[in-house]
Amino acid sequence: MDDMLFYDRLQFAFTITFHYIFPQLTMGLSLMIVFFKWKFLRTKSVKYNDAAKFFMKIFAINFTMGVVTGIPMEFQFGTNWAKFSELTGSIIGQTLAMEGLFSFFLESSFLALFIFGEKLMGQKLHFLTGFLVFLGSWASGWFILATNAWMQHPVGYEILDNGKYVLTHFSELFANPWLLPAFLHNQVASVVTSSFVVASIGAFYVLRQKNIEYGKLFLKTGVIFGLISSLLIAFPTGDWNAKNVAKYQPASFAAMEGIFETEEAGAEIVLIGQPNMVEKKLDNKIAVSNILSFLTYQDWDKKIQGMDQFKKEELPTNIPALYYSYHIMVGLGTIFIGIMFLAGFFLWRKKLFTIKPLLWVIMFLVPFPYIANITGWYVAELGRQPYLVYGLLKTADGVSPTVSSGNTLFTLLGFVALYMLLGLLFLVLVGKTIHQGPKHQTH
Amino acid sequence: MTATLVSLISIFMGILGGNSTKILVKNNSFDVIGNTIAGVFGSIFFIKFLGRLGFSPQNIVDKGIVNYQLFAINSFVSFFGGFVAVFIIKKIVNKLQKDTSVTNSDFYT
Repeated sequence: MDDMLFYDRLQFAFTITFHYIFPQLTMGLSLMIVFFKWKFLRTKSVKYNDAAKFFMKIFAINFTMGVVTGIPMEFQFGTNWAKFSELTGSIIGQTLAMEGLFSFFLESSFLALFIFGEKLMGQKLHFLTGFLVFLGSWASGWFILATNAWMQHPVGYEILDNGKYVLTHFSELFANPWLLPAFLHNQVASVVTSSFVVASIGAFYVLRQKNIEYGKLFLKTGVIFGLISSLLIAFPTGDWNAKNVAKYQPASFAAMEGIFETEEAGAEIVLIGQPNMVEKKLDNKIAVSNILSFLTYQDWDKKIQGMDQFKKEELPTNIPALYYSYHIMVGLGTIFIGIMFLAGFFLWRKKLFTIKPLLWVIMFLVPFPYIANITGWYVAELGRQPYLVYGLLKTADGVSPTVSSGNTLFTLLGFVALYMLLGLLFLVLVGKTIHQGPKHQTH
Repeated sequence: MTATLVSLISIFMGILGGNSTKILVKNNSFDVIGNTIAGVFGSIFFIKFLGRLGFSPQNIVDKGIVNYQLFAINSFVSFFGGFVAVFIIKKIVNKLQKDTSVTNSDFYT
């Protein structure tokens, strides 16, 4: 049984991590495409239209890869997590179905119209199709986050005699206090990724002295979007999320912050340290006193419960992984603010395009928002353990009893092989698009 | 093997089908990016729609046992779905461009 649970979790972790590489870019990029198209309508400058069409091509590749990797996720609910689907299907099935029916079809239909229909529709309708693609992609995030929010903080449900969960109030699914902060944090994080991608392509063109006019436009837009979103990711969205975790999942909060023992006179914030699970302490700790209490409760001396206040079965199952994921996310977020602030300053001083070391940094920084986004999701998912539905359904009780661990391992190996192939195909297609550049297609 | 892996292999067959148009019907084909995108959607559409006849991934794998005949049918339909999607989309795009080439006013002048 332990083997089965391990491989089911490993497979889901692997497939969802690979899947989330794609939607995190499409959600943020769709907003930037709408911005480029809007600028084109306002200024009539063709370079904005070319930028919108160029990034829609990259969007389309990402969207397609997201679909390819998303379809197997759907099957996993049935094959690997059948018990979970059986018990909670009448709740999570609703938001997942809405994601497919409303968001996916909205997004894919108008994506095709955006790519092929510019001449047919005229510019204003073309802008509208771009906006509807954006709406579809963000609605998709909303429905997925609504599903996850219910798993993190279940509301509006009752448990029937047969153990199944049903909704008592449909509206509570979307009024869940977990949902809005999680959604905003997630969406702003996707804008961080997309702005770094746009800025990185811009830096590449400027450094290569190729498509320089577009390179400068991408850099400028990427840096401005990147600076704003990097700040918003920390405050208010990140702050709001952390307060929610402290309120609804205090054991997870203690674990992710690395608080082993309750500090009565206010909790410190840990900057660096390694969890020592044998001695129940952080090794080589560097911390600042009372800051965590202030950030969480706006009270320097407020007590925050440490892990010593909880029973072992209430604590997350992998505390070091949770702690490191959280600190990697926060650390990278802080670095993003610093770099984007620096780039924003030089952009304001009209020197950004000539400072080559900074352009190299911007170009090679592109994997890190992906890492920050993915570790952010690890925080949410590892923090919820040992539950699938927090406080109600244990992860071990949600697996399919009839799928053997050998079967799951074989499938996982197949996924690793096929996803390597898919990843290679993705890099080739995106590389080809960037190499072609934002061709001037309108004259 | 579980149905999850079958669904992924199925989509790969669609990508192959979409890109095979480059060899089989050169005039009705996009570049590798367009063929791949159309191939993915074509295979998903065909399998979701026609898979109900008995060769969907859930039907192929029952308690870990793979029915290779159904698997072969699924792969073929997926390949065909990718191929047909490229063919049809290309026709539509050609028609759209033909219809709008004369009537489209020059927005930029």
